[in-house]
Amino acid sequence: MVPLMLRSLLSILCATAVSAALTAASFAADLEAAKKKAEICAGCHGENGISQMEGVPSLAGQPDQFIQWQLVFFRAGSRKNEQMQSIVEQLDNTDIRNLGAYFASLAPPKAPPDNDPDLSKKGAQAAVGRRCANCHTDSFAGTNAVARIADQREEYLLKALHDYKSSVRSGGGMAAMADVAYPLSEEEITALAHYLAHL
Amino acid sequence: MKSAFNRCILAFTTVLAVGAIGGQACAQDKPLKKYESGNKEFWTHPPDDWFLGDETQAQKGLTPKAGPPTGSSDAELAATLKNIKLPPGFKIEVYASGVLSARQMAWGDKGTLFVGSFGLGNVYAITDNGGKKQVKTILKGLNPPMPTGIAFKDGALYVINVNKLIRYDNAEANLDKLGEGKVVYDDMPSYAAHGWKYLAADKDGWFYIPFGPPFNIGIPPTSVSQIRRVDPKTGNAELVGLGVRNSVGGDVDPRTGKYWFTENARDWLSDDTPSDKLNMISKLGEHFGYPYCHEGDIPDPKFAMGHKCSEFTPPVLKLGAHVAPLGMKFYTGNMFPAEYKNSILIAEHGSWNRHKYQGARIVRVTADPDGKNAKETVFADGWLDGDQSFHGRPDDILLNKDGSILVADDWAGAIYRISYSK
Repeated sequence: MVPLMLRSLLSILCATAVSAALTAASFAADLEAAKKKAEICAGCHGENGISQMEGVPSLAGQPDQFIQWQLVFFRAGSRKNEQMQSIVEQLDNTDIRNLGAYFASLAPPKAPPDNDPDLSKKGAQAAVGRRCANCHTDSFAGTNAVARIADQREEYLLKALHDYKSSVRSGGGMAAMADVAYPLSEEEITALAHYLAHL
Repeated sequence: MKSAFNRCILAFTTVLAVGAIGGQACAQDKPLKKYESGNKEFWTHPPDDWFLGDETQAQKGLTPKAGPPTGSSDAELAATLKNIKLPPGFKIEVYASGVLSARQMAWGDKGTLFVGSFGLGNVYAITDNGGKKQVKTILKGLNPPMPTGIAFKDGALYVINVNKLIRYDNAEANLDKLGEGKVVYDDMPSYAAHGWKYLAADKDGWFYIPFGPPFNIGIPPTSVSQIRRVDPKTGNAELVGLGVRNSVGGDVDPRTGKYWFTENARDWLSDDTPSDKLNMISKLGEHFGYPYCHEGDIPDPKFAMGHKCSEFTPPVLKLGAHVAPLGMKFYTGNMFPAEYKNSILIAEHGSWNRHKYQGARIVRVTADPDGKNAKETVFADGWLDGDQSFHGRPDDILLNKDGSILVADDWAGAIYRISYSK
C-alpha cells in the first residue's frame, strides 16, 4: 500500500522537472571549490565523473539541477543510500550548487561498442513506447532536473529501473520515474538499459 | 520525423531559457494532453503529468515550474527583498533561510517555530540561538514526502501527511528525537494529487482539514472535495463543507468562530477565469459548487450537468484567476495599524496555468463577520520574475508574538518577517 502511494505521490510534479526554472542564474558557481569537494566523489564515481565501478553511475555531463536535486533528496532522506548518506551530511547548500555546476561542466561518458544491436533495437522501441524522450529529451541527455541517461553504465541503468519499479527509489519529489517504471516488463528493462548505454 | 521533433524540443527549451514567446508552432504539432481521470486507477496511479490532462489549445504548453533545488542563497534573498513593495511603515526581512520547500508554520509554546515542507519529506524546527536562527530538520524521509500541514497543541506537534495525522508528544523537549509519533486520524484516502493538506485548530481543539480531488476537474471520489472537522483526541470527525476543490489554507474567525478558507479553482478554462476563492462556512454541510459551478457564477462546461450556480454557496470574495491562494490568517496582533485588526492576510503562491503569471504576493482582505462587504488590497508584492517565473512564492502566514507576521516561501526556502513601525 505504501509503495503504491509513494509512487503516485511522486508523480505529482513530473512536468515540473521538465520545465524547472532557471532562476538561480545569478549564482556564480565556484568550480575550483567544487573540484576540490568532488575529490571525495571520485573514489566511486571515477575521475572526471566517469565511473569505472560496477553499480555506480557516471556523473559527468549530468544536468546541474539533476545533481543538485539528488543531493538534496539524499540529504532529506527521500533517496536512500548508505554511502551517500554519510557524504551528503557534510554538504551545505553552496557545496550542492557548486557540485551541480561542476559535474554538468564535465564531458559526458562515451558509449562502449554495441555488442548486441538487436537488443538495442528492442530497447529503442521500448523507449518510444514508454515516452522516455518526453522528459529525458530526444538525445537522452536530460535537462534541468531530469537525468542524462545516454551512455550511462548499463548495469547501473538496470539497477535504477529495478529500484524504481520496486519503489526502492521514487525519483524524489520532482520526478515520475516510479510511475513510469511500475508497468515495465523485465524484458523491456533489459532492452532499455542496453539501448541507452550504447547510444 | 525525429529531427523535426528535436528542433521542437530545442525551441521549447529556448523559450524557457529566455522567457520569450516563440516556438509555438512546434508545440502545436503535438496533440493536446487528454486523460480520463474519473476512475480509481487514475486516482491511485496518476500519470506523471496528471495535471495536464485537460489541456486546451488556448492554454497549451503551460506547466508548473520547479524552484531552485537548494532554495535561494542569502545574496539572492537580499536582492529579492529589495524589490518587495509594502505599504508605508512596513518592513520585510529574512527571518530564516535554508528552510527548503517551507510550507505551513506553527509556534511551539516555548518559542520553537515548526515548519512543514512540500515534496521533501522534511519537518523543521527553528530556534533562536542568541539572535541567530538555527534551522534543524527534525523529521526527514517521511513517506509520502508531503508533510505540508502542521499544528502545535498542548505540547504536541501535529503533522498531516496526506492520509495520516500524526502526533508527536512533548515535541519541544525532544527536537533531536521526536520518534515515530502516534497516528491519531487516518480515515483519509491516499490519493496523491491534491492530497496535501493544512491544519487549522478551533477553540475546542478540533482541526479543520481540507480534502482536494485527485485531478483537475471531474466527479470527485466520495472521500474528498470536502472540508472535515476532526478531533485529534478521539478521532471523531464531521463533514462541514462540500464541493471544495484544492484548499491549502484556512483560519477560524476570531469574531465568530466560523471557518474561512482559500480555494484554488480548476485549471484549463482560460487565463482569466475561473477566479480562485475566499470562502466561509456559515452552516454545517454547505456546498461550495465544485465540480458543477466555479467562482459562484460559472457553470462548468462539462460537469455542471444541469446544476445551476444559484444552488451553491458563493465565495465571500473572488481573489483572481490562477493567483493560487494558500495559507491565510486573521490578523489579531497589536503591532500593525488599527485597521488591520481582524483583516485576513492571504499568501498567494502564484500561477502556472496562465500565460502571464499573477499572485506570488500577500493580499489583505477586510470583510464583515457575515462575509459581506469584502474588499481586497495588495499587501506585499514583487516576487514575480517576468511573465513566467518567480523570485519567491509565499505559501503561508503566521502571527508572531510581537505582532509582526512570518511568511513561508517554498520556492526560496525561506521564512520572512514583516513588521511595522510608525
